[in-house]
Amino acid sequence: MTPTDIRERAADSPVQKPQARPASADDRPVVLATHALTKRFGSLVAVDDLNLTVRRGDVFGFLGPNGAGKTTTIRLIFGLIYPTSGYAQVLDHRVPQDRRAALKHLGGFVEVPAFYGNMSARRNLRLLGSLSTEITEQRIDEVLDIVGLRERADSKVGDFSHGMKQRLGIAHTLIHKPELIILDEPTSGLDPQGMKDVRELIRGLGKQGTTVFLSSHLLHEIEQVCNRAVIINKGRVVVEGTVDELRPAGTTVKVLTRDQARATTVLRALFGDKNVMIDEKYLIVDGVDGSVPDLIRKLVAAELDIEAIVPAPEQGLEDYFLELTQSADVDTDYSGVGAAQGGGR
Amino acid sequence: MRLLRGEFTKTMFQKRTYFGWAGLTAIPIIMVLALALSSKKPGPGEGPPFFSQAVHNGMFIPLAAIAALSFFLLPLVASMAGSFPLAGEAEQGTIKTWLVHPVSRGGVLLSKWVVAVFYVVIGMTLVAAAGLAAGGIAFGIHPVALLFGGSVSVAHGLWLTLLAYLIILAATICVVSLAMFFSTLANSSLTAAVGALVVFIVMQILGSFSLFDFLKPYLFTSHTDAWQNLFSRPIVWHPIYTALLTFGVYVVALTGAAWAVFRRKDVLV
Repeated sequence: MTPTDIRERAADSPVQKPQARPASADDRPVVLATHALTKRFGSLVAVDDLNLTVRRGDVFGFLGPNGAGKTTTIRLIFGLIYPTSGYAQVLDHRVPQDRRAALKHLGGFVEVPAFYGNMSARRNLRLLGSLSTEITEQRIDEVLDIVGLRERADSKVGDFSHGMKQRLGIAHTLIHKPELIILDEPTSGLDPQGMKDVRELIRGLGKQGTTVFLSSHLLHEIEQVCNRAVIINKGRVVVEGTVDELRPAGTTVKVLTRDQARATTVLRALFGDKNVMIDEKYLIVDGVDGSVPDLIRKLVAAELDIEAIVPAPEQGLEDYFLELTQSADVDTDYSGVGAAQGGGR
Repeated sequence: MRLLRGEFTKTMFQKRTYFGWAGLTAIPIIMVLALALSSKKPGPGEGPPFFSQAVHNGMFIPLAAIAALSFFLLPLVASMAGSFPLAGEAEQGTIKTWLVHPVSRGGVLLSKWVVAVFYVVIGMTLVAAAGLAAGGIAFGIHPVALLFGGSVSVAHGLWLTLLAYLIILAATICVVSLAMFFSTLANSSLTAAVGALVVFIVMQILGSFSLFDFLKPYLFTSHTDAWQNLFSRPIVWHPIYTALLTFGVYVVALTGAAWAVFRRKDVLV
């Protein structure tokens, strides 16, 4: 980079920054793609004509219920299994044709990361990491630091908890500094704190510029850490877009006042009976979509004391997800879902 | 080289590695104890080859031990050594941890084969060393009497013993290759190990009935005894060459088949 470049960048940055990662930034290079990728096991079509595009800097959510074909897709990308037709592509390298060249830029794990239980974390990383590149002790320390396992570096992996193995899996993923990392449900089986830690870790990686491909069956997880996502079911893409686009139209908020009964009446008058549900503690109000100030004004006007108003996107997303994947079960035309959703905003 | 080093490190960290070696080392020692402490000495032709001579000469213990081992324990250890590296890693899931790195599948298979063979080599070396040590202490080291009269010096006897071990090693590599081939088909190391052992025993049984004599030249198990020709004078080389050729064909065919399967295999563990 020449000094001029830097000056230009600096001069441009105030303007460009707000648009740093717009949905239409399609000039970023494609790091991972699948082209009509298909895998059949006998009569079962696990991955069906799948086309994905992941660009540099994406934290890409790969979302679907259990059995949707997520893990099969990841195995295909790593060249662990052979496609029935189509191919995956990592930068310029096709898998399975050019698997080894592709894997140089790739790190990750499939299902549960597996290590040698008789060896220490450090020795596992040294042995396995050196299959990709020269591994220095310093690099091992670095990646163990990133996942917070430095103090347990010399303990046997066999004695590790599930969460620690999962974190070691991420350390192993990073050890050869790959351009793209693929994580298959990295928070599965973790306790809430463990989930939080791993998600923060992934967000951090994304911020540092590593492209991440994250599979998950948890919508709110994808929403917390990803910028783009696809939802797949039965091996096909159901919806694709930025995370904001994937969110269903109409926001949901949770409302807590000193007089929930009266608040219910007020809000039902505003949003309709169907959209206001009474939960244990909160009122759950659907379809608020931009009218939160209105909601507050009405509550205040009715002299209700507001304790809390909490956005509750998870609620809506879960429903949306169920709706999408269930409609997929009866073979609805998905393009209609996407279009209707697009038109709703 | 990275693959070999990784495979070797991994093997040295597994407890079963040492069980196999310990078992093999124990056999010649048990043999010496039995011979030294029992009052009834075996007559000529009793027990494994060279068993009766061993009472008078520790030089024969390594031969008697390996001859006894080559019928069961050595093939057992070899089939385990051949099947654990691949099918055992499939069970643990670690095979996918290897294969997400830019390694060639052929290289992975080859490194596993080499380390398995090396494992058998170490095992056989332990048998020879333990046999020579224990036998030497109990019965002394003397010039080696040959099968049909005459004898050779201790040094020459050791040289012949080494050649005999190499022939038995070649036969055992057939079992390693067989187990490795099975382990590309099965995802269970036990299935692969038992499969290889079953084939080995079926071959041995086929070879022991005269009805199946027409098969005999094609069974590698029938050639394992070829090493005994080293101890006649002059040495009868022909059966030794035939044996080595047969072993070679088996090893190349089985390892090739293993490679053909593994290269295109869907790794689903």
